[in-house]
Amino acid sequence: MNYHDTPGPADDMVISARDVTLTLGTGATRVAVLKGLDLDVPRGDRLAILGPSGSGKSSLMAVLAGLEAPSGGTIAIDGRTITGLSEDQLAQMRRGRIGIVLQAFHLIPTMTAAENVAIPLELAGHPDPFPAAAAELAAVGLGHRLGHYPAQLSGGEQQRVALARALGVRPALLFADEPTGNLDAATGDAIIELLFQRLEETGATLVLITHDRALAERCARVVTMRDGAIVAGVPA
Amino acid sequence: MAIALRIARTEARGGFGALRLLFACLFLGVLALAAVGSLSGAIDRGLADEGQAILGGDVAVTISGRPPTDAELTALRQAADTVSQTVRMQAMVRHGDDDQLLAELKAVDSDWPLYGTAQLAEGGGNRAVQQALRHGAVVSEALAERLALRVGDRVAIGETTLPVAAVLSSEPDRASDGFALGPSVLVALDRLPQTALVQPGSLYTTRLRLRLPAGSDGAAVAERLRNSHPDSGWQVRDSRHAAPGTERLVDRLAQLLMLVSLTALCVAGVGVRNGVTAYLDQRTAAIATLKALGATTGQVTRGYLLLIAAVTLVAALAGAAAGALAPWLVAKLADGLLPVPPVAGLYPLPLLAAIGTGLLIAFAFACPPLVRAGALPVARVLRGPVEAWPWPSRRALALALAAGCGVAALAAVQAAEPWFALLFLAGAVGVFGLLALFGALIIRLARALPRPRPVLGRLALTNLSRPGGPAQALVVALGLGLSLFATLVFIETSFEAELHKAVPDKAPAFFLLDLPRDGQQRFLAMVPAGSTVRMVPSLRGPVTRVNGTPASQLTDVPEDSYVLRGDRGLTFAADLPVGNRIVAGRWWPAGYSGPPLVSMEAEQARLLGLKVGDTITVSVLGAEITATIASLRQVNWDSFGFNFVLVYDPATLAGAPYSWMATVTPPDGADRSAFTARISRAFPTATVVRTDDVLADVSRLARQMGLAVKAAATVAILAGVAVLVGAMAAQERQRRTDNVILKVLGATRRQLTAAALMEYAGLAAVVAVLALGLGAAAGWLVVRHLLDLPWQPDWGKALLTMALSAALICLLGLAGSWRALGRSVRAILRAE
Repeated sequence: MNYHDTPGPADDMVISARDVTLTLGTGATRVAVLKGLDLDVPRGDRLAILGPSGSGKSSLMAVLAGLEAPSGGTIAIDGRTITGLSEDQLAQMRRGRIGIVLQAFHLIPTMTAAENVAIPLELAGHPDPFPAAAAELAAVGLGHRLGHYPAQLSGGEQQRVALARALGVRPALLFADEPTGNLDAATGDAIIELLFQRLEETGATLVLITHDRALAERCARVVTMRDGAIVAGVPA
Repeated sequence: MAIALRIARTEARGGFGALRLLFACLFLGVLALAAVGSLSGAIDRGLADEGQAILGGDVAVTISGRPPTDAELTALRQAADTVSQTVRMQAMVRHGDDDQLLAELKAVDSDWPLYGTAQLAEGGGNRAVQQALRHGAVVSEALAERLALRVGDRVAIGETTLPVAAVLSSEPDRASDGFALGPSVLVALDRLPQTALVQPGSLYTTRLRLRLPAGSDGAAVAERLRNSHPDSGWQVRDSRHAAPGTERLVDRLAQLLMLVSLTALCVAGVGVRNGVTAYLDQRTAAIATLKALGATTGQVTRGYLLLIAAVTLVAALAGAAAGALAPWLVAKLADGLLPVPPVAGLYPLPLLAAIGTGLLIAFAFACPPLVRAGALPVARVLRGPVEAWPWPSRRALALALAAGCGVAALAAVQAAEPWFALLFLAGAVGVFGLLALFGALIIRLARALPRPRPVLGRLALTNLSRPGGPAQALVVALGLGLSLFATLVFIETSFEAELHKAVPDKAPAFFLLDLPRDGQQRFLAMVPAGSTVRMVPSLRGPVTRVNGTPASQLTDVPEDSYVLRGDRGLTFAADLPVGNRIVAGRWWPAGYSGPPLVSMEAEQARLLGLKVGDTITVSVLGAEITATIASLRQVNWDSFGFNFVLVYDPATLAGAPYSWMATVTPPDGADRSAFTARISRAFPTATVVRTDDVLADVSRLARQMGLAVKAAATVAILAGVAVLVGAMAAQERQRRTDNVILKVLGATRRQLTAAALMEYAGLAAVVAVLALGLGAAAGWLVVRHLLDLPWQPDWGKALLTMALSAALICLLGLAGSWRALGRSVRAILRAE
């Protein structure tokens, strides 16, 4: 199945998920992580998924971003169904459309900041990835750190590089999974400010995964998860 | 110690992880060394146990080209209980009109064999052989097979025809007879005159084997006989040195194999280092936790040392156990192919030496990573993955060095030539250092190079220069293995070129010996039209005096001077032989009939201090001929014709009973088999040697030796491959994480595979080029200086070998990456 050929169920939504389930393990270790979720995210939305540890919020992000195949249900991104696609097709789908910021930064240690930011641009076929990467780093305040390796950057700086990497391709959709989890409070606040500022500038839709209610409330909409189900907040 | 033991036990329960690599590498290395040591021990024991049988007596006296005199027989009989006589020579064996083969004819008396057991294919031992000899010829299995002979068939040998009375499956004293040009045929000694093969000037050896009274010292008797008959041209051997040629060959081969195996073990050492490093990298969190809970560096280090030592010991024991099977396997697989069958059995000394060497190498390579892992600061580990490990302490390096010295000492003790072994090891360490330097340079170069813009090229380059990446370990381990392989290819192809390319251009197709004196015209009439023929008269006799002094009284005769040893081939000629050049004196004029003159080869004359005008005396069939040296000649020994040290004027020897030797080069397209058959029928006592048969024999021997060495070298390559796999495992975690990030960012598996392929292709190409260079240097040294052969390697074959090896490295690298590529994105992110 090809992502581009298959029309999804709700074309006006960036994300449209129906009856999504995720079950991990087998036999006695079988765990239902997601239990039949429905979720629609309109273009330009700022959605926070709130919940305690183990509630299934990161797993929901993983299936929505095509990082993990759901056990059941359908998911459409930008109006196209992604369920049933192969890992490579999902990777191609993410190119230029989805940006992801993770708690542990996950920069490639052997590449400089500029090289890290340039990778998704190159993969998406950007004609001039390095100047674009430099501009993106300048936008997050790291124009002077282009040639630095991750080990030479502070945690906050690394997360800024990760943010630049995620937004460089101007994705329609940005997933941020506990983006301040590895940072101190002041640095975390600065990163969140930067995140929202860059979202304004780029117009990307945000899905923010957090257990921090204050942070969640900065978003236009909050859904709360518990035990693999959405228990509060009405899907759009 | 109790805490260390508990650490070791609990860690063992958690699985061995990358220590499996340590096990594989050490197993392979110890296996190679144990197999070579055991096999060498088994052949040595074969030589020692079977000494009497191989020699065929307690003492053997060999005389060239003549029977023993009565006085000699009397002297030998006084020293022994029994004296058995055999005569050995090359002879054509003919079956029917067209089938003939050059064979080793052995005429044996009724006491043969004094020791050991001859066996007939149809069953029966020494008595059955003697009974068969009374009825006809006893042919070896190889001869029966090649001439399609069955018992009852008739074969012609010289001028007689005999029935095949039996087929011989085992000839106990075959190894002591030295290099043979063909399979054996036995006849009774009293039938030998019927063959008419023994003529004046014939090439044959008489061997007298002695059974000494019980309790006699064979070596002492041999020495006494040597001293009491200094001028007789005897070669005397005792049973402790029954087959010196074989002994030398086995010793040299064993030494070469041992050195190749040591290289394999060194390569395995790199694998041990990688295995230990990867394992400890996997265990950094556990180490940090233990230290955070109060365990000291010493306790942690000792705990992991115990665990690693246990795995090492099991690997070394398993390798030694597998290697111990080598004598059984070779005895079974190479049955009848080896000159001395290995005695299957357990050889504890080489096994212990292999285990000891393996343990020391493992310790030398495992010590630095172990000590530095123990010393890792807790805070640093807890902060995140350790990219750059601290340098091992001086104490760790000293311990590793001490273990390395132990390996060198063990190798020297085991080697027949300790200095050679030590030099080899020093060379290996040098190459090791050079490769490590190259590895570091490659990493530095990869860091310094401008990053390619395409993401795949950049990924490949950054992976190469990654801290703790595989580049340096791979360059060292695979470089060492491939250099060894390249060296062997260079040596083998140079040797083969010398055999196959240089020789056939110059060598005649046939060498004919013992053509009768009156058969010259008949022979020439049978030679195919257009052939190049050269005939020379041939006689044999020992040099008895030099300038009037008996040869036995000459002192300080240089080692290279062989003129005084045994019988010499003699000839006479009216004209200067082709390929010879006068360097002193003058050639005799045509029709010279004055006092005897001789022309001597210049180098042998120089060694004996002889010049023009000196005299030399030879004994031809009992007649002493003293001739004045008229000239000295420079001889081109590579001309593959007949060359003689002593050439007489025709008048001196023309009356002596000589035979002819001839070389024949027939034109292309001539029927060579028909020529052989014609000559064998017309001159039954003549011997026809086909050059291509001899070359095939020599080449087969060289190939078999090459195969043995390559088998050992393959273990080195296998160890290198294990190192490659280990190096992949050591950095799998980081590679896996990187791949997942790239997949999250949109990279496909094909793109990541292409990046890995670029990385390994680059690395493999560099390793192959380095190995080619180092192999060429080492091969040149061996070929030019050790073997003294011209340097004529087959670069195509060497390049192909390296290209195939590089392709294999790429494939293995990709196979390793495939595992890292196949992991689910979410699973890794969840684990991180």
